[in-house]
Amino acid sequence: MSITSLVDYLKARKTEYITGAMEVTLSAITGFFIAGIILQSMGYNALSIFNIMITGGVSDLSHLAGKSAPLVMTGLAFSIPLMAGVFNIGGESQLYMGALAGLVGTYYSGNILIGLVLGFLAGAFWGWLMAALRVYRGINEVITAIMLNWTAYYFIIYLIIKYLPNPEKPYMSIQLPQSEMLSMNTTFLLSVLGALAAYYIIYYTDLGYKMRVSGFNPKTAQYSGFDPSKSILFSMALGGGLAGFGGALLVIGVSSGIDTTMTSLYGLGFTGIGVGLLGRNHPIGIIFSSLFFADLIIGGQWVELETGAPPYVSDTIIGIIVIALSAPYAYKKLVELYRLRRR
Amino acid sequence: MITDIVNLLSNTFLSMTPLLLAAVGEVIAEKSGVVNIGLEGIFLITALTSTVSTFYTGDPILGLIIGVIIGLLSGGLHGFISVYLRGDQIIAGVGFNSFAYGLSILTLIFLWGDYSSSPSIPKITPWSLRIAGTNLVIPQILIIALITAIASWYILEKTGWGLKLRACGEDPRAAEAMGVNVNKTRFYATTIGGGLAGLGGAYLSIGWLGSFTRTISAGRGFIALADVAFANWNPLIAIIGAFIFGFADASGTYLPIMLQKMTGTQFTAETYLFLTIPYLTTLIAVAAIMKKVKMPRALGKPYIKE
Repeated sequence: MSITSLVDYLKARKTEYITGAMEVTLSAITGFFIAGIILQSMGYNALSIFNIMITGGVSDLSHLAGKSAPLVMTGLAFSIPLMAGVFNIGGESQLYMGALAGLVGTYYSGNILIGLVLGFLAGAFWGWLMAALRVYRGINEVITAIMLNWTAYYFIIYLIIKYLPNPEKPYMSIQLPQSEMLSMNTTFLLSVLGALAAYYIIYYTDLGYKMRVSGFNPKTAQYSGFDPSKSILFSMALGGGLAGFGGALLVIGVSSGIDTTMTSLYGLGFTGIGVGLLGRNHPIGIIFSSLFFADLIIGGQWVELETGAPPYVSDTIIGIIVIALSAPYAYKKLVELYRLRRR
Repeated sequence: MITDIVNLLSNTFLSMTPLLLAAVGEVIAEKSGVVNIGLEGIFLITALTSTVSTFYTGDPILGLIIGVIIGLLSGGLHGFISVYLRGDQIIAGVGFNSFAYGLSILTLIFLWGDYSSSPSIPKITPWSLRIAGTNLVIPQILIIALITAIASWYILEKTGWGLKLRACGEDPRAAEAMGVNVNKTRFYATTIGGGLAGLGGAYLSIGWLGSFTRTISAGRGFIALADVAFANWNPLIAIIGAFIFGFADASGTYLPIMLQKMTGTQFTAETYLFLTIPYLTTLIAVAAIMKKVKMPRALGKPYIKE
């Protein structure tokens, strides 16, 4: 692509980019604004809390990198199936499965690569299962995902207490030795590579193309001679695999084991939904939005240390951002209004 | 043995009540064409608000009313986003769940400085019948739920209002031609659905557990959603569904207690295994029946006038 054609391409899509940027910015502002009202009414100083939240995460870059790595993966786990027209709310348990497989695989083989591959496969199987129940039994994937999320949650706690207990720490599973762990920076690098691989698969392969067509219009896919349900199965297996990979990365790069209340894993899959949406379902956008969310989450913990306000401010803000992102039509209307006003 | 059956039945009644209320509310909303997967969030936020109001006033009935009001507002918010802003209904619901989770824990810590549960509050004591040396518990709100289910079925299937509401979910264009205001109908249906879920959420704390915990809803909002599909969008079958899922929920906690007594062993890790029962039962039940159901044709799609 020559420079001039690139410029033309960008010009042609100018409105789309402006609307997109507006959606993202306004949603983030709405999130902070409403959370600000809530915090003020509870008697905290909202501005100083937000200041700590945003700067807190950036103060330790490698911690930020380690925290974002699984979010990049769960973000992709939501966005890739969405391209094929399915809602993957199951990133949560796909990540659990991957974390478990990653821990067991690395611990018993002593090889990080085996752990990562097993993590991917475990997540991919779990994602495929959710898609299969939709394709072959017609169950709404949202219901399946939540039921399997809770099943995986309790099942893994059972497995850890029963078969993988840590003799020194009763609240933990077996832990990986330092020699079998990756640094946080490598962990993040691997997640970025994962996002780039996803980008390639979505936009430059036959499978990715079919997936996008099926999501855009299942009838068109059928007329062009390919089966949209295959795309659903593929997208969920790929998304689930990436979430599983994220779970394995978390264990191998950050947490070294899984605690018996699953605190280190809980919520990462759900946050991934916000990450995917704020990243406008684009792998590169997702890398940035996961850094932003990781910053908020780490910052939330700083808030607790410095002001005594609860760290759950970040969950609240993320929730409002997601609600605000659900209605792109509202932003389109705003852009139109603005244009009319200027004329 | 009879004692066990009576206890299991009591727990089933306790646990089916919120499922039935939320499922009936969701049937009303979905029949009009709006899917609200934020039921889980409504459960959380209304369980919390009614706990807070009961804690400060000591009046559980007032708490119940507050729960319904907050439920109506939450349903109304979802209706507004889905209908007038033409938002993505699934994403709005997911966002609401996450917002409700964050906000409820935030409030829990703010008011009581506790990360997991609130102090105990006065409950509405359920009716109990003395049977075989133990009490069969029947919550009053279950009766309200049953009446609501039957009334909703009658209104939806046998009256002109119901026909108009169903038309909005099946073929909004035809409904508009009939002179029905599709957007308004959908907005009100979603609001009412939220109100019923709100009653269910208030029941969780005031009618059942007597306090608020952060895991108080534990996927129940989604089990209610599964019940809607299981019931083929029929409020009467939703009663059966709620009974089955409530029974599974009760078994998940009661079975290990019963088995430990019978065998004399002490379970540790195994208790967690039993907790998967309600979720797996729901999944299997829906999988068994799903091929035969028919959902409203325009479900989840915003109506755009031309």
